[in-house]
Amino acid sequence: MIRFDNVTKVYPTQSGPALESLTMEVERGEFLFLVGPSGSGKSTFLRLVLKEERPTSGRIRVAGKDLHRLSNWKVPHLRRRIGTVFQDFRLLPNKTVFENVAFALQVIGKPRRQIARDVPAVLDLVGLDGKQDRMPDQLSGGEQQRVAVARAFVNRPLILLADEPTGNLDPATSVGIMKLLDRINRTGTTVVMATHDQSIVDQMRKRVIQLEDGRLVRDQSRGVYGYTR
Amino acid sequence: MRFQYVFSEIANGLRRNLTMTVAVVITVSISIALFGTGLLIRAQSEATKGYWYDKVEISVFMCNAYSVGANCAGGEVTDVERDTVRETLEAHPEVSEVFHETQEEAYERFTEPLDDPVAEVITPDQLQEAFRVALVDPDEYDGVVSAVAGLPGVQNVHDQREVLGPLFRLLSGFQVGAIVVAVIQVIAAALLIANTIRLAAFNRRRETGIMRLVGASNFYIQLPFILEAAIAGLIGSILGCVAVFALHEVAVSRLLAPNFTFTAWVDRGDVWMMVPWLLLTGVIISAFASFITLRRYLRV
Ligand SMILES: Nc1ncnc2c1ncn2[C@@H]1O[C@H](COP(=O)(O)OP(=O)(O)OP(=O)(O)O)[C@@H](O)[C@H]1O
Ligand SMILES: [Mg+2]
Repeated sequence: MIRFDNVTKVYPTQSGPALESLTMEVERGEFLFLVGPSGSGKSTFLRLVLKEERPTSGRIRVAGKDLHRLSNWKVPHLRRRIGTVFQDFRLLPNKTVFENVAFALQVIGKPRRQIARDVPAVLDLVGLDGKQDRMPDQLSGGEQQRVAVARAFVNRPLILLADEPTGNLDPATSVGIMKLLDRINRTGTTVVMATHDQSIVDQMRKRVIQLEDGRLVRDQSRGVYGYTR
Repeated sequence: MRFQYVFSEIANGLRRNLTMTVAVVITVSISIALFGTGLLIRAQSEATKGYWYDKVEISVFMCNAYSVGANCAGGEVTDVERDTVRETLEAHPEVSEVFHETQEEAYERFTEPLDDPVAEVITPDQLQEAFRVALVDPDEYDGVVSAVAGLPGVQNVHDQREVLGPLFRLLSGFQVGAIVVAVIQVIAAALLIANTIRLAAFNRRRETGIMRLVGASNFYIQLPFILEAAIAGLIGSILGCVAVFALHEVAVSRLLAPNFTFTAWVDRGDVWMMVPWLLLTGVIISAFASFITLRRYLRV
């Protein structure tokens, strides 16, 4: 589903590489944790998958597409197959829960009928039924993140990328979000999650890739967080 | 494509950037008004030229008893000399018609305005008989003038274009000046629009960021901004057109045309002919300026 071949990324303003000679593969339906100290290249990895950044060298394949050969105007179509969740939720404050999720379908031109059907279904899935008319500032952090997950998942992507989705949440709420991501993973969606949350990684027992200074230092199936900060 | 979304985005955008939108509307309307004035002056000078071209003629004045000059050495023009001039003119390919005016006819024309004290001291023999020559193409007067200017009995050849020349040059000068100012204004408008759109894109970076992330196409992301600019440009150009109509009404229809009836003036129909071009210019400049700006600020 995601395949990196000897990928190096050097930002123009930077001396050392953010990712160095990274080779790895994520299978369809896998759940992968990306761990590593701050600045080790986790977010860079996710941005490369989205083609928000281009690798300095190396090949990246996502959902069967060679990103190097994917023309710019086709990038939106790639992103429709990838859902993304961030630490800071990134909801639109002037739209209701329903509108925030519907927005993701509206702007890719989905018909109203499909929106009316899919948005309530996904809100149900993330456990927000009955709250669809609330504004984001009337929700707890955990609920806001559920809205963000619903928005990322409403178009049934092949891949869900999550960059520290529990970074702003307390441990109990984090567990709820992890259960949700696990449920999404069980529908066949590949999940890649960058995190600093040791207890979550240790509890979930999924594949763990550890980066340090842009290099892959550990790739372990059913792994643990593995290092102390 | 969900037009409802696009239109609500445009409405929101216009409202959120109201001051900048107003600035764009004003700048566009001023540029379009100036541009329209340039076109109006252009149309006016065309009308003036067209009117006077039909009336342009060459006058060939013959020697009288009092004439001095190389061709008048023999005193008053003789019948032979007169016939030679007439034949030369009638044979010339650029000449369409030749009228002969005798000294008596010149005197009648001269004394026609009654109560002219000068007329009382002048006698027909002091005036000159002349040939008045209409041309096939008023621009081709040079050949006709040189064909008869040197003949004996011809005192001088008078070409009306020499009188109208400075007027035409003045009109052309106005025309160029108006267009230069208009172009500068249009550039200023384009820069202001670019800035407005950049600000609008910055204000909405949260929305556009999410749109990019969920895979909205560039076209879809940029369309509301471009339409917003185009609408502001359209409103501005409509105001600019209104200004041109007002200028035409006040300056031409009320002030100039009634007082200077001896020449042709642009009418309202000519102004209507300019309207599509003015609207198109305003809208295209706005849309194009925003398109260029967005290419830089809303990249994938
Ligand atoms: N846009 C950028 N321009 C220049 N350098 C960047 C940019 N983004 C990231 N970097 C650098 O690349 C390296 C990797 O950054 P990245 O954001 O991938 O780390 P991370 O593992 O996500 O860190 P954190 O856990 O703090 O989020 C860092 O040294 C960072 O300073
Ligand atoms: Mg990061």
